Amino acid sequence: MARKNTKFLLFFTAICLPLITIISPDWLKINGISPCWPVIWLLPFSLKNGPWRSSIAAIFLGIFMDSFTLDKVSFVPSLLLLSLAWGQYGLYNKNLKLLFNIGLMAIFGTVFVGLSIWIQKIILYGDLRNDWFNSWSIYVLISEVIITGLVAPFFSSWLLLAYKKD
Amino acid sequence: MIKTRRKIGFYLLFKSGFWLIFIFGTLLFGIRWTKGAGYLDLYAVLVNPILPGAAQREWIKEGENIENNIRLKLLEEDNNRLRNALSLKDFNSDQRISAAVISRSSRSWWQQLEINKGAKNGILKGQTVIGPGGLIGLVDSTTLLTSRVRLLTDPGHKVGVWVNRTKSHGILTGMGTNRPKLIFLNKNPLVKIGDAVTTSPASTLLPPHLTIGIVQFVDEKALPSPYAIVQLTASPEAIDWVQVLKK
Repeated sequence: MARKNTKFLLFFTAICLPLITIISPDWLKINGISPCWPVIWLLPFSLKNGPWRSSIAAIFLGIFMDSFTLDKVSFVPSLLLLSLAWGQYGLYNKNLKLLFNIGLMAIFGTVFVGLSIWIQKIILYGDLRNDWFNSWSIYVLISEVIITGLVAPFFSSWLLLAYKKD
Repeated sequence: MIKTRRKIGFYLLFKSGFWLIFIFGTLLFGIRWTKGAGYLDLYAVLVNPILPGAAQREWIKEGENIENNIRLKLLEEDNNRLRNALSLKDFNSDQRISAAVISRSSRSWWQQLEINKGAKNGILKGQTVIGPGGLIGLVDSTTLLTSRVRLLTDPGHKVGVWVNRTKSHGILTGMGTNRPKLIFLNKNPLVKIGDAVTTSPASTLLPPHLTIGIVQFVDEKALPSPYAIVQLTASPEAIDWVQVLKK
């Protein structure tokens, strides 16, 4: 029964992920920037399921999230690498100190995803190789890291606890 | 007993759960292919009852009056200059579709709006989207009930523009901030701080003389070409209703 509930929770939260990205409530923003929701969802999943299953989930999640953004810049490469790293970490560290560890890992994950988007944009658009864009990117990255670091300990810990009950 | 190939195939398809992964994969790629159309349509239907009402429209009309005055002045100048010489592209004000903003991402990595009118209402990719203050962006994609608008501020987004006072052309490139970069096509644009930037009267892609912004900073000595920083007159962060101009 518990296994069935966990599967339902997994499916439900994955389906809700794009919806919360579209709705992007103002009270969950810093400087108009929302948390990095794919990182918040992928982190507990990877810690629980190991590198291979989580890397497949990361590819699916990346493709899913790319549906709701504008151009050719993709979440897939960064999420794939993060899922492998977190999956490996989860295999060897079964007893995580939830709040602190998860918050810190989400912060590193958000930095990695942000850097990946930043670099992809610079590669795709030659005109963005200037200080105006770079300073704006730093501003977005810092805001995203702060809000994800604040939100992740609650959402990701809750998801991880739900998986562990299984 | 050794299973026949047919039986193994049957086992793989129906008993091992492979069909579930196949259906899930197909569904996922379907969503990716349609750019999340089902989600957006569902969301548009859900938020329809709580969209802003008449007060919001009055506020938009006030903004429109200011914008129309600027546009009228520009059109008169343009008509005098080009009288009997050129037949310019123009747009009919009846060909406007009002739409509400149902989702906004105007400050993050992707700067876009989702509006509650789509292909069903005759909106097509590439159409112009305006709000109080002038041009906001272009339609990037549509679903049956919604459209995704790429804002002028989105990093890498390029639009051809024109500074009316000096008659100089340039390309406005989004930098993420509310101040896009205007790269001039000629070496001596003679543009000053405070000049109005509009869409080009010779453009075949955009309607002419839509207000875009005001020049805030100019670097005429920059290489390979001079550039200016433009403060946009329309602020996507505060706009709940927009208008899509039909071509």
